[in-house]
Amino acid sequence: MSDIRLEQLTKSYGDSVAVDSVSLQIREGEFYALLGPSGCGKSTTLRMVAGFVKPTAGRIVVDGQNLTPLPPEKRDIGIVFQNYAIFPHMSVADNIAFGLKLRKKSRSEIDTAVRAALEQVGLTGFEDRFQRNLSGGQQQRVALARVLVTEPRILLLDEPLSALDKTLREEMKFWIKNLQQKLGITTIYVTHDQDEALTMSDRIGVMRAGQIEQSGTPQQIYEEPGTLFVTSFIGQSNILDVKCLEVKEHKATIELGGQVLQASTHHLIGKGTGAKLVIRPENVLMGQEAEAQGVPLLAATVLDETYQGAMLRYRLEVAGQEIVAERQNQFHLEKWDPGAVVRIGWTERRARVLPEDGAGSSSG
Amino acid sequence: MTELTASPPDSPPVSGTRPAWLTPNLWWLVIPAILFILLFFLIPVLSLFASSFDKAMPGQITFQGNFSWDNYERIFTRSLYYTAIWRSVWIGAAVAAVCLVIGYPLAFIIARSLRPGIATLITILVLCSMQLDMVIRLYGLMVLMGDKGLINNGLIALGIISEPLPLMYNWVGVIVGLVQVTLPFMILSLIGSIRSINPALEEAARSLGSSRWHVMRTITWPLSLPGIYAGTLLVFALAISSYVVPALMGGWKVITLPIHIYQQIAEVGRWQFGAAVAAILFLTSLCAMALYIVALRRNAGGRV
Repeated sequence: MSDIRLEQLTKSYGDSVAVDSVSLQIREGEFYALLGPSGCGKSTTLRMVAGFVKPTAGRIVVDGQNLTPLPPEKRDIGIVFQNYAIFPHMSVADNIAFGLKLRKKSRSEIDTAVRAALEQVGLTGFEDRFQRNLSGGQQQRVALARVLVTEPRILLLDEPLSALDKTLREEMKFWIKNLQQKLGITTIYVTHDQDEALTMSDRIGVMRAGQIEQSGTPQQIYEEPGTLFVTSFIGQSNILDVKCLEVKEHKATIELGGQVLQASTHHLIGKGTGAKLVIRPENVLMGQEAEAQGVPLLAATVLDETYQGAMLRYRLEVAGQEIVAERQNQFHLEKWDPGAVVRIGWTERRARVLPEDGAGSSSG
Repeated sequence: MTELTASPPDSPPVSGTRPAWLTPNLWWLVIPAILFILLFFLIPVLSLFASSFDKAMPGQITFQGNFSWDNYERIFTRSLYYTAIWRSVWIGAAVAAVCLVIGYPLAFIIARSLRPGIATLITILVLCSMQLDMVIRLYGLMVLMGDKGLINNGLIALGIISEPLPLMYNWVGVIVGLVQVTLPFMILSLIGSIRSINPALEEAARSLGSSRWHVMRTITWPLSLPGIYAGTLLVFALAISSYVVPALMGGWKVITLPIHIYQQIAEVGRWQFGAAVAAILFLTSLCAMALYIVALRRNAGGRV
C-alpha cells in the first residue's frame, strides 16, 4: 500500500517529447487511470514507473523513496501487460511461483501461496496448465495472480482488457476493480477506452501530447471537462461557436444566434471574444420538457431522427449550427418529424463555456 | 480467373487462412523442384549408395549388381575407420558448440537492437562473410594461422614464444576453419528464434524481481531453444560432412570421413568402397542428430 508521486517526469527521444513534465500524486489505495489516444505518452509514463524506460528528467517517488535510479527488479512494482506475457515454457504454477522463488521462499510457502493466488483469481485446479491451453481471460487472471502473489507496492495495468472480446471485457472490468478494492493496492491503469476509465477509476488523468490535460474524478472529467480535447475525447458533446459577453464568478454570459444565455465556466475569457459552448446530447431539452424547466429557449429545426432502441437521437439546427439531442424513447414523450421547428434549451450548469483551443487560462 | 469465381462472393475470408483462390490446384508449381531433386540429388545419391554394395573394382563407376558386404566388412574391421568416425563426430560437435557460444550474444544483439538499421547492418556483415568463396577464405586463414603466419610471427616478434604455435594442420585449424564457415548459419537461425520472443516476457520477469542474467537464463535462453537446436543441428551437419576445410586446414593430417571418401574415390578410384564410407558418414550423422534430438526432447518438455 503505497502512494506515488511523479515529479516533472519527462521522456524525450531526440527532438520529440513523449512525456512532457508530468507531475502527479496518487494516493494510497487509489485506482488511477491514464486515459488518452495512442501516442499520448500514457504507456511511456507507465513504463518509466515500471523501470523499463529511463526518464530524461524528473523523479518517481514511492512512499517517499526515489525509485528513479533503480532497475525494474529492485522496484517491487507489479505490471500486467496487454498480451499478459505468461511464460510459455512454464506451467501456471511455475509462472506464479516465479517471483516467489526469487524472494527465497521455501517450497511449502510457495505451494501455499500459489494455491491461494489461484483461488483468489478463480483458477483453482489450473496449476499444471500451460499458456497455450488458456483463454485470454484466464491468461489475464494468471498474469494478475503472478504479480499479486509477490505483494507489490504498486500495480500497473497496461491496457489489460484491450485483447479481450467485448463480453469478457465487461466482466473483467468489474472483477479487476473489485479485486483492487479488496486488496487496497495502489493502481495505475493505462487505457484508451473511456468506458473502462470512467467505470473503474477513482481518478482519471486525461493525457494528450505527453501532458496530463485534466486530472479528476470520473464525474469531474465527464461533467466538467476543462478543455475541448477532454470534452471531445470523453463521451459525446455538442460544441457550438458562441460569443462571450462576460465572465463573472464561474458564470459566463454568452450570445448564441442573437440570444443571450448563461453557462458555467472555469476559464477567464475576454469580453467579446469567440468561445465554445459545450453541452452533452443527453442534456439538451426539447419541447415541453424544456419549457417546463423554465430555461431560455432557442428555436431549432429538426434535421433527422435516429432510432437507437432505448434512445432517440435528434440532429437539430440552431442558429446555423448543428446540435445533437438524445432523449429517452418513451411513449408519452413528444416526437418530432424532420423539418419540424422545436424549442430547445438546457439548464445553466449543464452547459459549459470553454475558450477556443489553446486560448484562455484556467482559473481552477 | 476460374479460381477467383470458385469462391462464393459473399463468404468473408476467414482470418488466418490463405485466400481461397490460392489453395486449389497449385501443387503443380512444385513439379520443377521435385524433378530437380529427383534427377540431380536422389538418383546420384541412391546409385552411389547402391554401388557401395558392389564388389570393389578400381575404375568401375556404375552400379554392377555384384552384391557383396566386402566394403562394409573392411570398414568395420579396421580401427582406422572407427577413429575417423569418432573424429568426425567430435569435431562436428565441437564446432557446433563453439558456434553457439560465440554466435548467441551476437544474434541476441541483432535480434534485440532497438534500431532496425543497426540490426540490418550487422546482419549484412554476417552475410558478407558468405559472399566470398570458401577456399579463398580458408587461404586467408592460412595467412593468419600458418607457422609463418601473422599470429605466430607477431607472437615471436613480441618475444612471447620462441617456436611457432601449431595452429594449422591439426584439429585446431580444422575447428577454426569450420567455425568460420558455419557461424553465419548458426547466427541466422538464432536471430529468428530470439526475435520471436515477446520482449514483454523479459520485462515481466524483470519486474517480478529477476536480474538481467537471471532473465537470460530462465526466459530468453529456454525460449530460444528451437533456434539453438536448429542452429546446432545445421552446423553439425555442415561440419561433419565438410571436405574442403579438413583438407586445407588439416593438411591431410586430420583424417575425417569425407577425407577418406575423397581418397578412395579420387585417388585410388575405388568408388564402391568410397560409397560405403559415404553411407557410413550419412548414417553416423543421422544417428548423432537423432541422439541429440531425443536427449533434448527429454529436457525441453515437448517444446521442440
